[in-house]
Amino acid sequence: MTTHDTPLLEIDDLSVGLRAGNIAYDIVRNVNLTVNRNEIVAVVGESGCGKSLTALSILQLHSSPPLFITSGSIMYGGVDLTKLSKSEMRNIRGAEIAMIFQDPMSALDPMFTVGTLLTTAVRSHQSVGKDVAEKVALEALADAGIEDPKRRFSEYPFQLSGGVSQRVMIALALVNNPKLIIADEPTTALDVTVQAQILDRLKELKKDRGMSIMLITHNLGVVASVADRMAVMYTGEVVEKGAVSDVFERPQHPYTNGLLGAVPRLGSAAADLTPIAGRVPQPDELPTGCSFAERCSRVMETCRATRPELTVRGLAEVRCFNPVG
Amino acid sequence: MISIVKRVLLTFLLLLLSSLAVFAAIRLSGGDVTAARLPASATAQDRAAFREQIGLNKPILTQYVDYLGKVVKGDLGNSLTNNAKISTLAVDKIKNSLILGGAAIVLVFGIGIPLGMLAAFRRNSWLDTSISSASVAGMAIPNFWLALLVVWLFSSTLGWFPSAGQGGIKYLVLPSIVLAAEGIALTVRMTRSAMLENLGQDFVRTLRASGLSESRIYFKHVLRNSLLPIISLAGLRVGQIVGYALVVETIFGWPGVGQILVNGVLRRDYPIVQFFSLLLVVVVTLGNLAASVGYTLANPRLRK
Repeated sequence: MTTHDTPLLEIDDLSVGLRAGNIAYDIVRNVNLTVNRNEIVAVVGESGCGKSLTALSILQLHSSPPLFITSGSIMYGGVDLTKLSKSEMRNIRGAEIAMIFQDPMSALDPMFTVGTLLTTAVRSHQSVGKDVAEKVALEALADAGIEDPKRRFSEYPFQLSGGVSQRVMIALALVNNPKLIIADEPTTALDVTVQAQILDRLKELKKDRGMSIMLITHNLGVVASVADRMAVMYTGEVVEKGAVSDVFERPQHPYTNGLLGAVPRLGSAAADLTPIAGRVPQPDELPTGCSFAERCSRVMETCRATRPELTVRGLAEVRCFNPVG
Repeated sequence: MISIVKRVLLTFLLLLLSSLAVFAAIRLSGGDVTAARLPASATAQDRAAFREQIGLNKPILTQYVDYLGKVVKGDLGNSLTNNAKISTLAVDKIKNSLILGGAAIVLVFGIGIPLGMLAAFRRNSWLDTSISSASVAGMAIPNFWLALLVVWLFSSTLGWFPSAGQGGIKYLVLPSIVLAAEGIALTVRMTRSAMLENLGQDFVRTLRASGLSESRIYFKHVLRNSLLPIISLAGLRVGQIVGYALVVETIFGWPGVGQILVNGVLRRDYPIVQFFSLLLVVVVTLGNLAASVGYTLANPRLRK
C-alpha cells in the first residue's frame, strides 16, 4: 500500500463521455480531484453537472455502453482503477471503496431481508461462516446508528422508513470496512431532521474510524456543515476547489460566487437573493471557451476564445481568467 | 381470511353457473343423443323410449335440478354410449391427463424461464435474436398445425417418436411439447422482459457497488424479482394447457380428459360432457388459486 502522504484517491484529468453511433461528447471533462485519508470532500453542483457520473465512474458503475471513460486516471492504493479487470474491480467495490446512493427506498432489493442483503455483502468479500457474517452485519447496523439492529435485521426494505433505509445503506457500505465511502446525494430524499442525523453519522464515521468520504451534493448547506474540502462542478468541469472555509469566505469563480449569492441567509430578505442569469449549456453544445462565459458578468474576450485551466490562486484552485476578489 | 372465504364462495358460484351453462349448451346444440347408443336400425319408438328413460322429456330446468341432486349425492351418472360409470371412467382419464398436462407445465417453466434468462443475459446478441424469434414463432403457430408438423418430422420421417397412443416416456414427448409450445414462448418473453426491467433497477447498482458477482446478482436477486410476474400469470398458463389439451389429446390419441370430452361432445353423450367440462373448470380455478397463493408466498410485501 501507499505511504501516508499520498492521497487516498487521486482522480487526474478524468473525462467520461457518451459514445453511441455518431454521437460523441464528454459529460465529465478533465476532472482533477483528490481525497486524502480521514477527510470529507464535497463535490457540489447543479443537476446534470457531472458530479454523480464522476462518482459512479470511480467504481465503474456508470452504464457502459453508452458511457465510457475517455481519458484520465483514477489512482487508488497505487493502482489505476480505470485499468482494472471486472473481477479486480469487484474486489475494490464494497471492500475498499463503498457507495451510498440517493434514493434508499429503491436502492435496496425488495425481495430480501436487510439481514440477507448485509450478510451477502459480507460473504462476497470475506470467507466467513453465516454466524460471523451475521455478527458483522449486526455491528454495522449499530454503527450506522440503527437503534434495534436485531429487529431491522429480519425486516424487509418496504418495512423501513426513508431514514432507516438510508442507515441500512450506510451499514451496507460499512460492512466490509472500506477506506473510502462515496455518498451520492445521501440525504436528498430525506426530511430535514433525518438529514441532519445522517450527516452527523457520516462525520462520526470519519472521526471514529478515520474513514474518508466523498460527498456528492447540490446542497451548499450540507457542504458547509460536514465537508473539509470542496470542489464545485459546472458543465462537467471542476471550476473551483479548496478548503470549505476558504471557498465560502472568498469564492473566486464567478459561478461559485453566484451560487453562494443564491443561498438564503438568516436575517436577509428574499429580495437579496441573486439568481444566476441564463441557463446551463447542454453537454453537446458547449462553447470552445469557458462554458460559463455566456452567463458571466465578468466575461472578457479571452473567455470566449480559450478554455481556462484549473490554476492555483491564493488558497484555492480556480478555472477562470478573471476571478472575483 | 375474509378474502379466502370470499374466494371459496365465489368458486362455488362459478362452478354452479358453469354447470348450468354446460348443461344447457349441450342440450341446445342439437344432434341426436340416441345415435350413440342405439343401432342405426332402431325405430323412432325405440329412440323415444330411450329419451324418456334418460329423462329428456322433462322440462330442462327439472332435468338440471335432478342432475344437481344426484351430483350432490356423489352419483355422476353413466356414459350414454356404453353405460360405464363415470366415476370409474374418470380415474384413468384424469391420471392420463395429469401426466400429459404435468409434463407440459414442467416444460413451460423448465424451458421457458432458463431460455428467457439466457436471452436477457445475452441481450442483443445472435442468441437473443434466435430465442426471441423462436418465441414469436411459438406464439404464432397454431398447435394443431405444429402437431402435424412434428408428427411428420419426428414420427413419419425420422421415426424417433411414436405419433400416437400411450406407453413409455417416448409417447409423451411429442404431445407434451406441442401442448407446451405456446406457454414456453410466452414464458420466454415474459422472463426476458422482466429480467431486463429488473436489471435496470437501482437496487442492482447497489448490489454491484457492494462487490457482488454478476452471476450472483443475476441468479439470486434479479431472477427472484423477475419470478413475481411469471408466478402471477402461471394460472393463465394452466388454463391455456387445459384448453389446448382437447386438441392435442385428440390429435395424438392420448386417452385423457380432453379426448373423452371431445368424443362426448361429438356423440352428444350428455353426462360425459357435463362431468368433464366441469372438471376442466375446477382445474383452471385451482390453477389460478395456486398461482395467487404462490404469488403471496413469493412476495414479502404480501406475506408479511
